[in-house]
Amino acid sequence: MTFGFRPMPIGPAGSLNRPIVDVVVAGFDAAPQACLIDSGATAIRMSDEIAAALGVDLADAPASDVVVGGARVRGREARVELTIDLDGDDVTWDAPVWFCEDWPQAFGLLGLRGFLDMFDLALSGQDETFELTPRFSY
Amino acid sequence: MAAKSTFTMAKRDFRASAADVERAVRGVHPTPVRGLFVVVSGRRYPPKQVMSLVTGLPVSAFTSHHAVRTLRRLGFAVGRRGHGTSVFTDPMPSTGDDLVIEKGASAAARDDADDLQAVLRQHVGYWVAVRGDELLVAAPDAKGVIGWLSQHGERAESMFRVPADEGAASGVAPL
Repeated sequence: MTFGFRPMPIGPAGSLNRPIVDVVVAGFDAAPQACLIDSGATAIRMSDEIAAALGVDLADAPASDVVVGGARVRGREARVELTIDLDGDDVTWDAPVWFCEDWPQAFGLLGLRGFLDMFDLALSGQDETFELTPRFSY
Repeated sequence: MAAKSTFTMAKRDFRASAADVERAVRGVHPTPVRGLFVVVSGRRYPPKQVMSLVTGLPVSAFTSHHAVRTLRRLGFAVGRRGHGTSVFTDPMPSTGDDLVIEKGASAAARDDADDLQAVLRQHVGYWVAVRGDELLVAAPDAKGVIGWLSQHGERAESMFRVPADEGAASGVAPL
């Protein structure tokens, strides 16, 4: 499926088109999380507020520090069910997600492990579009 | 301080706030979730277990539907385990001191995207839920947005925090 980059407000007057896809986390499809596709990220990362709000248990999750946008944050990894809508089909897979304290980014980040190792990505910065093709049966 | 709501359970009247519910479940391990769940203090509980702790009533004294309805009115997110679906029934009225209710603040037919951008810029740093060119709700935390969606039976297309600058909309340094 081909997605268009999405305009996002930046500060009081600017706007930036970003490769964003909405991801249903832990089955809560009333609030898909906007996530930025980021080939520079080694994993899937998002705010731990999401985990708390959706009841994702991080009590025994392994913790580690990560650097995000120049800031060091503490994250905990949990395996959760993720779902994206590809042309009307719900594509669901199980992935490790790092839920991070004091998350400085506006969106989640979809990196290599758990996302780009599960989907083929074709991205055109010129056209501001991207295509996702699952590498698994769903 | 969050207001208390009055509700009837097993023909008895009770008054409780969201904080009362969170206090009631503190230190209590959730029983296994088989279908419906409610998120309280970041953990998933069966709705009947929570209402039993809040009211002191045995779980046999009321229905799961009644428990869900009451908890949703108090602003708790309710979902269903597995299958990637959430449960929503009739919307409930609600208030929230920190919520910005923008439902109905749709952009005009022309320049929809630009108008939504303008609306979003009024909520920099806030978590928001959007659907099409409509801002559904803005809140200072993710829990506020998700609780509102659950309470009102609304389904967003996307949820995020409005970036304050380009850095917040950028990717991560590799680790």
